[in-house]
Amino acid sequence: MSRFSKSLTRVAMIALAACATGALADGKYAGVGRAAKPAEIHAWDIDVRPDFKGLRPGSGSVDQGQETWEAKCASCHGSFGESNEVHTPLIGGTTKDDVKTGHVLSLVKGDAPQRSAIMKVATVSTLFDYINRAMPLTTPKSLTNDEVYGLVAYLLNLAEIVPGDFVLSDKNIAEAQARMPNRNGMTTNHGMWPGAPASKGGIGNGGKPDVKNTACMSNCKTEVKVGSLLPVYAETAHGNLAEQNRPVGPVRGKDTSGKAPAEVKPAAQSDNAAATKLANDNGCMACHGVANKIVGPGYNEVAARYKGQADAEAKLAAKVRAGGQGAWGAIPMPPQSQLKDEDIRRLVKWIMSGAKAQ
Amino acid sequence: MADPMKIRASAKDGITEVKVLMSHEMETGQRKDSSGNLVPAHFITEITAEHNGRQVLAGQFGTAISKNPYLAFKFKGGAKGDKLSVSWVDSKGDKRTDEVQIA
Repeated sequence: MSRFSKSLTRVAMIALAACATGALADGKYAGVGRAAKPAEIHAWDIDVRPDFKGLRPGSGSVDQGQETWEAKCASCHGSFGESNEVHTPLIGGTTKDDVKTGHVLSLVKGDAPQRSAIMKVATVSTLFDYINRAMPLTTPKSLTNDEVYGLVAYLLNLAEIVPGDFVLSDKNIAEAQARMPNRNGMTTNHGMWPGAPASKGGIGNGGKPDVKNTACMSNCKTEVKVGSLLPVYAETAHGNLAEQNRPVGPVRGKDTSGKAPAEVKPAAQSDNAAATKLANDNGCMACHGVANKIVGPGYNEVAARYKGQADAEAKLAAKVRAGGQGAWGAIPMPPQSQLKDEDIRRLVKWIMSGAKAQ
Repeated sequence: MADPMKIRASAKDGITEVKVLMSHEMETGQRKDSSGNLVPAHFITEITAEHNGRQVLAGQFGTAISKNPYLAFKFKGGAKGDKLSVSWVDSKGDKRTDEVQIA
């Protein structure tokens, strides 16, 4: 029997047992489940909050922490929490002044080689909770309560927050909190923090976002004004930008070659030019090439097939209007009902005459 | 005077493993500060380790070594309770020696 079907059987048995006892807490779902036992809740409810709610009594010294650290933590984090090999460093970048002020200066100055965990963490409860919940990575929740106290004490000692003979316990953990280097570095007055604003007893700002991007409904600007431009002498610093951008997509490089753009010849309004424009404007050229197949047949192919047929123009005009499929392959041509009859006639004539641009 | 080094030394099967975390700026003399002036060089040049007065390691450091250097080495000999001292001298002539008992 596979593992999966075994566990299925077990689930079925548990469900049966639940039915048999019919024990239920709130009566909402009669016959389903049972109330969690206090011991189960105790095992599950392990979070420790910044006000130390949820912290279980216990204690651990720096020396005890060091022993546990060397055995279970140092292989990844380094003996001094300094290792950068597996994870970013835990310790480093904080000073004695930071312990006094509660702000980590090197976060502002940016002179630490890297942001360490102790530079960023604001609450000692976070350290405790995280180690207790998630460490060691391979066997989370395997540490005893006192071991976690010891490890936190050891880390705080490495960061020179507490002395070497310090014994951390639930009684004095608030003192450790009062010495955390970044304890004043955390802000909650922004939209990322949930909950009521500080004035209403919460710690957030009521979910107000930091940015105030409002949609303009009246007196809106109609044009974009260019605020600043690259100076002329700097434009060619990277060569001619027009040549370095692809001809597809929304971005075109500016022509910085310095030469005046080639004079645009006034469009000769011949029949051919008008038909070409028509074909361009109506999206014909997206699928049909003048001399090559793209999705649909090239105009040269169409002209060649219908050459010499007396009713070719009428036939083609009908095909353009109604769309079609099968004559050139499986991909259908959509109906072009937006075109006027005379435009269709002009297009068809143009195609049959060789689809010249001019 | 610089901050103390963190030293961990543990003996096992006649071999002592030593880990040292020094606290030093290790300025190369190549870096410029925000106003564009060169930050003067200031780095550890020599490091020695002594076990009960016997030198077990001597090394020269240079500018290629990072801020707050970490050094780990092993030597034969050493027993629990022995004294191990590590000292460095830097380019400004500053010195620091720290001593621990081998665990």
